[in-house]
Amino acid sequence: MLSLLMQHVAQSGSDAAAAAAADAGSSPIFWFIVLGYFAVVLGFGSYFARFNKSTSDFFFGGRRFSWWLITMSIVATGVGSHSFLKYSGKSFEHGFSGSMAYMNDWFFMPLFIFGWLPIIYYMKVRSIPEYFERRFNAKVRALATGVLLMYMLGYVGIGLLTMAKTLGPILGDSWSLMEIIWVVAVVAGVYITFGGQTAVIFTDLLQGFILLFAGIMLFILGLNWFGGFDAFWNILPTEFKLPLSNFNDDPGFNFVGIFWQDAVAGSIGFLFMNQGLVMRFLACRSVDHGRKAAAFNILFALPISAIAVSCAGWIGYGMMTQDPTLVSPDTDPDTIFVIVTRILTTKAGFGFFVAAVTAALMSTVDTLINAISAVFVNDVYEPISKLRGIHHDDKHHLKVAMVASAAATVIGVGAAWSFSLFDNLYEAHGFFHSTFTPPLVACIFMGIFWRRFNTKGAMATFLAGTVMIILGRLLPHELIEPIAHGVPSIDPETGEVLSTPFKYIGALYNLMACFGSGIVVTLLTEKDNKDLEGLTMFSLTAARRMFKGSEPNDRVGFPQTVTYELDTSLPIGAIRMDREAMNHLAAEQGDLAYICDKRKWLGGLRSAHAHFDGVHNSGETVLLSQDIYDNGHFLPGKLLVVEKEF
Amino acid sequence: MDEFPDFDRSWLPYIYLYGVGGIFFLGGMLLIFKSKACDWKRASHRRWAKVLIFGYFWYAAIHGVLIYSALNI
Repeated sequence: MLSLLMQHVAQSGSDAAAAAAADAGSSPIFWFIVLGYFAVVLGFGSYFARFNKSTSDFFFGGRRFSWWLITMSIVATGVGSHSFLKYSGKSFEHGFSGSMAYMNDWFFMPLFIFGWLPIIYYMKVRSIPEYFERRFNAKVRALATGVLLMYMLGYVGIGLLTMAKTLGPILGDSWSLMEIIWVVAVVAGVYITFGGQTAVIFTDLLQGFILLFAGIMLFILGLNWFGGFDAFWNILPTEFKLPLSNFNDDPGFNFVGIFWQDAVAGSIGFLFMNQGLVMRFLACRSVDHGRKAAAFNILFALPISAIAVSCAGWIGYGMMTQDPTLVSPDTDPDTIFVIVTRILTTKAGFGFFVAAVTAALMSTVDTLINAISAVFVNDVYEPISKLRGIHHDDKHHLKVAMVASAAATVIGVGAAWSFSLFDNLYEAHGFFHSTFTPPLVACIFMGIFWRRFNTKGAMATFLAGTVMIILGRLLPHELIEPIAHGVPSIDPETGEVLSTPFKYIGALYNLMACFGSGIVVTLLTEKDNKDLEGLTMFSLTAARRMFKGSEPNDRVGFPQTVTYELDTSLPIGAIRMDREAMNHLAAEQGDLAYICDKRKWLGGLRSAHAHFDGVHNSGETVLLSQDIYDNGHFLPGKLLVVEKEF
Repeated sequence: MDEFPDFDRSWLPYIYLYGVGGIFFLGGMLLIFKSKACDWKRASHRRWAKVLIFGYFWYAAIHGVLIYSALNI
């Protein structure tokens, strides 16, 4: 009788949510807000397209942006994907521990901040595969390129499909899944194709704010629904409020598995292997600003993001405890975000939240499309052109990048279609993800931090590592169970052996397989006879020297605020200042300079890098060469701030 | 009546997270100093080293306070 009643409640709960979502979908105000959002996004993309003059601008935004702009952009990318739906669902099922993946990224920060970040920045590594060629050889680069492109195209497909599935229930039966995917792909593809990285960064700035605002607003509305924080807190059971899950009891969600899968493999993958994120850091005006962006993001933005993406699950659980007729105990966790949002908001508010979630998904897709075109131009098109003895100029590469962005969008639609054929989307993608990322992660990690790690070791990490991962999938009890920390392989409810056991703790085995293959082969083979200057964290001084082209000047100076004049007689990349200003800057001829519009809120949009080329006697004015004037997008009559870099 | 969670549900994950995670963190700190990637003589590097240590204890404190608050029934 009780189960029949529960079933009825569940049915009515789901029906009510679907009806409410569909009802909102037929409201003009709802569509006004959603379409208004898309118009703003397209407007941003078109406006910032004017700042692209080279492939450096298109891919890296001209290496000019301030840390806070990059932080918000990373927030939008990090929160992106299917975070709102996924973490709300996990939190509804498992409580506060559902968002623990957001709060465990600090352990590898020393190696990122003082290792990987300065290496990619100072060595001007444009893509992750390019690092593999410099560190090892062209074959390792080709392997890495193939794996990385497949991984990113798959992710674009997942992003487009998730967006379509989010919008599907709201649009109703008149739209097919593929029609929605095409519309979303065209919107994302247009602004990334014409806007490039600058468009992505500025659009993500907007989206980052929308996402955090929407999530925190939902939390406040939820607390208000309960009558305050105390009422909300006291209704939740103790286990639900714990921030870390059970150690190893539940094979479907256990702390130790998630630690190895997310805190270790996921964190290294996110910081070191994510081409989209690497390009964000390369868009920073300096290594120090990259460090600030990374640190601020993990220390402060991620905990706030954890609340924003998970709170619908917490609120939903509280509502279910208080009134099971409002939110049924049998609610599908994936729908809890929509249900809670619809309960707490009006139709207009619901439109805003749907736009926010779509923004989250679009941020991931736009970053990936831009990253794919960077990898294609840098690691496929250029090497092939070189082999054929053809030299193309930067303008040609910029056109290829735009075509590659458009092609990546179309292939992403194809990937979305193929993923839509699977019954269980995330499991199919999860298998793909966990099979292909550990070799890249292990290879990058050992490449940076172990000088002895050689080319044969890198090949073994890719090839033998992948074979062992597949073996682990086929023989989980023999290979993974001995290191599974007691995580059971049996479903606790049915008592049956799980078809895919150790899905989280399997990451420990995958990492051991890849690191082990690389270490064993490296130790059994000869050292590479290769110059590694600047390519490992043991030679960062050399990397800085190579970046500058001469010895760094680390004397402390003070930024100077000046007017500017164009001097077409100056050589490319040069500026000149008077002797007094040079003394205040502690700068000498040949030192690197950063010139920026004085208005800090622009975040470096109007700025350029240059080198000091002697002195002049024209007072407090900086003379700019033609290319610096053009690339900096400086406005007439505006003051500039000049800083010495090193 | 709300049951008090077992040790493996409450503090064991915390100890594992900051114990094993702490080994990775400490290993990373030692490596950046040993490789001279972080040069203690430079003021900006000293500042960053302090930020890194702060970050570890910042997260340990957040998780500790949350577990303590949840158990305080």
